[in-house]
Amino acid sequence: MVFSSLTFLCIFLPIVVILYAVCPSPFRNLLLALASLFFYAWGEPVYILIMLFSTVFDYVNGRMIAYYDSRGKERQKKCFLILSVVGNLGILFFFKYTDMLISSWNQLTASGVDLLKLTLPIGISFYTFQTMSYTIDVYRGEVSAQRNIISFCMYVCMFPQLIAGPIVRYKEIAGQIEQRRIREEEWVSGIQRFFIGLGKKVILANQIGLLWQEISESNLNELSVAGAWLGAIAYTFQIYFDFSGYSDMAIGLGRMFGFTFSENFRHPYESKSITEFWRRWHITLGSWFREYVYIPLGGNRKGIRRQIFNLLVVWMLTGLWHGASWNFVLWGLYYFVLLLAEKLFLLKEMERWPGFVRHLYSMFFVIVGWVIFATEDFGAIGKYLKVMFGLDHSFLTETSLYQWRTYGIFVVILALAATGVPAACVKKIKAFFQKKLPDGKEDRVQVIGFALYSMYTLCILLISMSMLISGSYNPFLYFRF
Amino acid sequence: MKKYYHIYILISFGILVWFGLQSFVKPQKSYSEQENRYLEQYPSWSMEDFMEGEFQDKLETAMSDQFLGREKWMSFSTSVEKLAGYREIADVYIGKDGYYFAKKTQDMTDQKQYNKNLHYVEYLGTQMTGKTSLLLVPSPASVLPEKLPELASYYDADGMYQTAKTIVKSAVVIDTRKALKKAKKKEQVYYKTDHHWTLWGAYTAYRSFCQSVQIQAKSYSYFAPKKVTEEFYGTMYSKVLDKKAAPDTIYAAQNLPEVTTESDGQKGQGVYDVPKLKQKDKYAYFFGGNFGKVRIKTGNGNKKLLVVKDSYANSFVPFLLEDYDEIVMIDLRYYRDSVKELLQEEVFDEALVLYEMSNFAEESSLYRLVY
Repeated sequence: MVFSSLTFLCIFLPIVVILYAVCPSPFRNLLLALASLFFYAWGEPVYILIMLFSTVFDYVNGRMIAYYDSRGKERQKKCFLILSVVGNLGILFFFKYTDMLISSWNQLTASGVDLLKLTLPIGISFYTFQTMSYTIDVYRGEVSAQRNIISFCMYVCMFPQLIAGPIVRYKEIAGQIEQRRIREEEWVSGIQRFFIGLGKKVILANQIGLLWQEISESNLNELSVAGAWLGAIAYTFQIYFDFSGYSDMAIGLGRMFGFTFSENFRHPYESKSITEFWRRWHITLGSWFREYVYIPLGGNRKGIRRQIFNLLVVWMLTGLWHGASWNFVLWGLYYFVLLLAEKLFLLKEMERWPGFVRHLYSMFFVIVGWVIFATEDFGAIGKYLKVMFGLDHSFLTETSLYQWRTYGIFVVILALAATGVPAACVKKIKAFFQKKLPDGKEDRVQVIGFALYSMYTLCILLISMSMLISGSYNPFLYFRF
Repeated sequence: MKKYYHIYILISFGILVWFGLQSFVKPQKSYSEQENRYLEQYPSWSMEDFMEGEFQDKLETAMSDQFLGREKWMSFSTSVEKLAGYREIADVYIGKDGYYFAKKTQDMTDQKQYNKNLHYVEYLGTQMTGKTSLLLVPSPASVLPEKLPELASYYDADGMYQTAKTIVKSAVVIDTRKALKKAKKKEQVYYKTDHHWTLWGAYTAYRSFCQSVQIQAKSYSYFAPKKVTEEFYGTMYSKVLDKKAAPDTIYAAQNLPEVTTESDGQKGQGVYDVPKLKQKDKYAYFFGGNFGKVRIKTGNGNKKLLVVKDSYANSFVPFLLEDYDEIVMIDLRYYRDSVKELLQEEVFDEALVLYEMSNFAEESSLYRLVY
């Protein structure tokens, strides 16, 4: 099931929320676990077995690690950690990367090994990473092993972040799994956050995604420079609003059930360097790789050469994590080069640049990066980039002028919505009125502010519903993750 | 503050629960007049469908199709998109002066299928002893480019007529663009909310056809056109459900000879099917909509005409009733038999293939002219 569907909004969510409210607290984890299994089975009736296997597998590994830890048996403890990591990566690798390897092998050696043609279990990259973080953290002694398999199952398959993140590490919510309280305030802010995320996905991402689809599927020979850039910008906004919308919905839903998930996006398109961009984009993935790959490899503590090597590994893996195709590897390497350049000399150089130049520089490379990300075929990437950089193509055609004129206003709205500007404005206006009011009446601003924000979120809900009902374009982008 | 939180929970959650409940309580609709299509029904449970994911897909489609106030939600969504500066919604261009156009860009027209279809028509022409005409009705936007949103792209009609003339030698290719462009100055030639042509548009093409087959064309006023409805919301409207759309008026020729019709073996309603004016798709007034085979006997003249056509012919054929003794209209989308066999059973003096250009390029049933 996906969040941006009527079945989720009007049937699944209300039922789960009501059951959760009337459920006595000792059974709430069980309820959430069952609801999540149902949620997953809705989209993947068969692959639910893999997730259940993964749950039991890592539950046992966690317990064994804890057991041998209490006995002080380092070797056995390590064995189970390795078993867990190999098991998880094995599942991930088998389902996600086998076909990529086979087809690359076929191409290299001109042989004809049959592809497995497995469909990728949705969310597998997210939940295998989560369960690995669990066993590693238990091994490191950063968190104690979960003894209750129901609670553990709930952690692994919790529906809010199951299919598109954020990647929630076990130790972040270990306390909340055992005990959590929900107050009205949190519940309300949770559902409001959910509506905002829904709007980002349905109203913004889907609508602009249609433009990217139209441009990327049109005849590239007749595409103009302006059209190609508009297409790339469209995808830039689509992926951001889609992905961060999903994260918002996950965080909001989590809050409604008493969980606090880490933020996943912090206005990444405001960044003034690529380094900064990656501190603001898909934060939980970045910190996962830092915590479990980069630092264990030695990070920056073993000299610059080793550090470069470590970065290379991390960025190739980051690219590959996004999908089993070489363009994702290229995309990872692209960021490796950019980040390395910034690390070695560019960041220092950039300190002298004016802010807007730094911003332009960052967005330029981010937008070009998305073209690589969005296009599987290397030939097509080259062709598209060639158009973008004006190599033997006209600058402007009637079609692209039409598209710019049709989507121009919308692109401006998207650009504003992608920054923190609207939130900052609201804050200023609030502060302004707060100062004007006499003492003892300040809470009025709170009430009016809440009322206005409430109406805003309800409008977003209604518009999103109307777009879902009228059946406009509603793609699911994470089937490759 | 707590009070306000409770109010918010009540409203927001209430919306979701209430609409969710409606989808269980409300009786199902099978057809949407406004949208002019059948609606998805709630699927019955089947483990097999569930495992395939089909049950889930059907349920989601049924939910949106059966959603309480679906049409209102759709108009609301259209209004929002127009507000954001959109000039096309669901592949419909929102044109000027209340016109709506199906979006057909060069990329969207299937040139391969188009060429194939032309070859099928060429074959038909070689089978006929008498004259064969191919009347490709220009798409509305080819005649009314000025009503499109500024700079909106559209397929290259010039090129396609050129191709038709190159491939089809056994039939006369009639290009009515010039005539329609001239005629539009006097009166509306296409509907604003529908993809069809108006009576005046069809009449203009009738004149071109007459010229080509050497019939004396009668004047427009001879047919005594009369307003039959002012409340026509057509197919383009059905797609966008734009609240701002103004309805079209349908005219129909009144001075027609007495005829008997037979539609798919049943005795037909005659040229006009009056009850159809009460339904949403009022264009079905002409011959009661689309049938596989409609046989019209007039008792005038001595020629027999075969018309292979789409719905554009329904308002065009009435003009021909005084010039042919018998007219057989074949709509290949619904006609299941072979046209080749039909030609062996009956002798036709002339044949006319009449399709709107973009329909013709998409049509995948024309192979039945050959097999």
